[in-house]
Amino acid sequence: MEKIHRRSLIAAAGAAALASPLSVLAQSNEDIVIGGSIPLTGVFAFAGVGINAGIGDYVKMVNDAGGIKGRKIKYVPEDTGYKVDVSVAAFKKITSQNKVNLYYGDSTGFSKTINPELDRGGNILMAGASFATELNDPKKYPNQFLVGPDYTEMFGILLKHIAQEKPGAKVAFVYSDSEFGRDPIDSSEALAKQLGLSVAIKIMTPAGSVDVSTEVIKLRRARPDYTIFHGYILAPIPEFITQGKQQGMTSKWMGTFWTMDSSTVMKMGADGDGFMGVMPYRYYYDTEKAPMLEKIRAMRPEYQSTAYMQGFLATMLFLESAKRCLDGNKPLTGDNLKAALNSIKDFDTGGVIGVPITISGNSIPVGRVYKADMKAKKMVAASDWIKL
Amino acid sequence: MRIGTLKETYVADAALFDSRTQKVWLAVAAALLVLFPFMASDYWLYLACLVSINVASATGLNILTGYTGLVSLGQAAFMGLGAYTVAVLETKVGSPFVLNLLAGGFVAMLGGLIVGIPSLRVKGLYLAIATIAASFIAHFIFANWKFTGGTGGLSVPPATLFGLPLDTSFRLYWLIVPVTVLMLLGAANLFRTRVGRAFIAIRDRDISAEVLGIPLLRYKLLSFGLSSFYAGVAGGLWAYFFRVVTPESFPLLMSIFFLAAIIVGGMGSILGGILGAVFMTMVPELLKLVVDLLPGGSELTVFLSPVRTVIFGLLIIGFLVFEPHGLAEVWRRIRRFFHLWPFRN
Amino acid sequence: MANFDWAYLFEISLTGIAGGGLYALAALAFVMVYKATRVVNIAIGEMLMAGAYLFFTFASMFALPLWLAIPAAVLGAGLLGAVIERTMIRPLLGEPPISVFMVTVGLASVLVGLVEMIWTADQRRLPDFMPTKPIMIGDAFLAPKVFWGAMIAVVFIAAVLLVFRFWRGGVALRATASDQAAAYSVGINVPRVFSLAWVASGMLAAISGIIVGSIGGISSSMGVFGLSVLVVVIVGGLDSVLGALIGGLLIGLIEALAGAYLGGEYKLLATFIVLVAVLLVRPYGLFGTHEIERL
Repeated sequence: MEKIHRRSLIAAAGAAALASPLSVLAQSNEDIVIGGSIPLTGVFAFAGVGINAGIGDYVKMVNDAGGIKGRKIKYVPEDTGYKVDVSVAAFKKITSQNKVNLYYGDSTGFSKTINPELDRGGNILMAGASFATELNDPKKYPNQFLVGPDYTEMFGILLKHIAQEKPGAKVAFVYSDSEFGRDPIDSSEALAKQLGLSVAIKIMTPAGSVDVSTEVIKLRRARPDYTIFHGYILAPIPEFITQGKQQGMTSKWMGTFWTMDSSTVMKMGADGDGFMGVMPYRYYYDTEKAPMLEKIRAMRPEYQSTAYMQGFLATMLFLESAKRCLDGNKPLTGDNLKAALNSIKDFDTGGVIGVPITISGNSIPVGRVYKADMKAKKMVAASDWIKL
Repeated sequence: MRIGTLKETYVADAALFDSRTQKVWLAVAAALLVLFPFMASDYWLYLACLVSINVASATGLNILTGYTGLVSLGQAAFMGLGAYTVAVLETKVGSPFVLNLLAGGFVAMLGGLIVGIPSLRVKGLYLAIATIAASFIAHFIFANWKFTGGTGGLSVPPATLFGLPLDTSFRLYWLIVPVTVLMLLGAANLFRTRVGRAFIAIRDRDISAEVLGIPLLRYKLLSFGLSSFYAGVAGGLWAYFFRVVTPESFPLLMSIFFLAAIIVGGMGSILGGILGAVFMTMVPELLKLVVDLLPGGSELTVFLSPVRTVIFGLLIIGFLVFEPHGLAEVWRRIRRFFHLWPFRN
Repeated sequence: MANFDWAYLFEISLTGIAGGGLYALAALAFVMVYKATRVVNIAIGEMLMAGAYLFFTFASMFALPLWLAIPAAVLGAGLLGAVIERTMIRPLLGEPPISVFMVTVGLASVLVGLVEMIWTADQRRLPDFMPTKPIMIGDAFLAPKVFWGAMIAVVFIAAVLLVFRFWRGGVALRATASDQAAAYSVGINVPRVFSLAWVASGMLAAISGIIVGSIGGISSSMGVFGLSVLVVVIVGGLDSVLGALIGGLLIGLIEALAGAYLGGEYKLLATFIVLVAVLLVRPYGLFGTHEIERL
């Protein structure tokens, strides 16, 4: 019996040596690591693929130019299928195998779940695909930021535009029964009242609903001048617009960030002509002067989605914060990186966002209203850059 | 070949672990469980905790579906009840985690009893569909009641043991795994008692069981109650582990996952519940490893998620068609081979 | 009650009932299978989705004209039904019904995964093929797609009812449903009847999927429609064609009323509360056959 015990002890010790964290790959301490929980597959895949490309491209650009103060950037993504527990597992895996300084998260749920970890570790600055209002709180989420306006701010930009175009107008909110959808509704209703607009009706559609005819009837009866959709990517917006127009509605139709990618809006067909929405970034094919857009077009000859722009910009802000940290001879900790981020004032993004930006809190409250031109199959600017 | 398993007393015959070999292997397993957290990286600790929670919940479902024959697709909803209870108690009251877990179990048990009440009138697949309805109603309550934080859910502060916060996978391991082991032992013991045998009788032929004098409603309710207690405690552990509880955390898909786990593992045996939960949790990770090793990596990762879904479905179908008694049966065959060697089985 | 908006109620009810017609068609596909083989096919929503994606492939990707694309998609779905029956259902012939139920759960996952692999998880829209003039009944609007969808559903249900009554194949199906052994002994080819039932179910699901897809677009999560269909068949009776129709209309009406007067989030809740009520009061549904358990 003793022989068996000794043998199994030796085997166990061998296995332990292999698994121990000390044997983690000897990674160059010089690299700046960006980790990512990216939804390359699943319901958010169209965005995830774009985000992944955007981050990768910017990292390549910086590395080709010599890195930051001689340090190279390393991008370590993992696919999550847009599921929170897979996201968390990916985070744990990447952070246990690399010394991660910056992280991109795939969803609101993930950002909220991982926040205590970030606070405890204190080494990582995080951004992500979420624009949730709750995350825009520097006290509760000190190690995170949004790569654009939060959903309430997006509504704010749309409402400001409406108030300018048609003071006292009636606005309807149509949103999905999910956290994504419900996020900005209450605060936006209050904001609308402040701007002198009236909220004619708020309609919530159940997740995954197919037939929205009853909701269209309710919407028609409220007779809004503007209808803002939120919490959807595409469906059921085209159905609302088609049925609404059939029933004689004269409302103008608007959407928020995740609906506004050019390819998504183009799927709406002829009825989608004139569809408006808020977009904080320029579109790939914008012809206004923008040096960064030219670089992107040179790297990628085919159309890149707004998700690509989001990933690209997130990385630009990540590396700008890292650069400012290193310029000040500060170690790359969460606090220092965030402080560096907040020192960004009147920063020129090279045209990805049309005006210089300032990040004083957790978000970038800037955006422009774009309109769909179905004949040209493009999104064209319908307003100036609005800052909140 | 196993020899010398003569039993002289009834107590010895009814023992859970009867042979010396079994006890030795059990000691080795216990030692490995104790040594594991010191050897493993954060990622493997995370997985171990997740597997443990799934084992606890799957065992609960096994009691209801595997041993009593009442198909339930509501296990995730009961976990949700437990998780929300723990979340609310931890954030609003701050009571010690042991109390919170027990409270979570009890609230889930109440839910289970309510759902179980129609089980006398409603049988088989109709009951399964009623449990689906129950899980939707639970989801609705979680999402629309301000008390449970609405669609945003609740953020759970870590459990504290004498002031030490249990916020790393390493520390949580020492909470989750012992609780799971206790629950497993409890379940194994349950089926040595009268109550356990009554459950099995109900599964085999409930009308005959009633004829033999087993009060059906009482035992069916007991089965629902016990299994949802297990789910509630597992849900509470889940809340301490993930630290955020939202209505989307416990979808119908999770109930299907647990049902699949006990089918793949083998319904009606404790080992089946363990094997099934471990297998189903680890398959996505193994898949990721395989994809990482294959050349042409990044194009293949796009297929990873749908392939995972397809494999999930194929596993269920495959095991039902080819091996209805699950992995536990495979294990038994292997064991039988070693027991009877050098004779053929 | 003088100020009660009767016009609104009428309009909502009309839309609800028409929407219920869609449920009825999908429920019919479910009942087909249950009637003949006693299998609860929870993957009915996913079979719907498969039919819709096949139509998408033929109509959009191969750009076939409609009169080719629709039959092609329907036949393809029928073939899928036959394959499913042969490979997954036939081997489990003597097993307890819960095993077959779990196989259909697995089937749902497999179908979703296959769709995501081949067509990705993006939402897509189907080409429009239904007339676009809104239907007006008095002052009440009715969306044309919903109206025509409901009409098609009613036509098919009537056809199936007639088939069951008068065609030999339909009678054979009913015979197999009531007593397999007796059906064998009078010379009915029972395995062939099973295949027929699944093929028919696949085809009906495809038609339903095409209509549902053209209203709300297609995506890999379309299968969630199947849960509402499940409620419809429980309310109507698992093996009753008439029940599928009445149940569908009823559930459509209830959903519409709940959505209009309570709010969008109450739609699914109302449906499931009806389900629980029916299960407690009349577990076999409005028109289902009462199952007598024998020792």
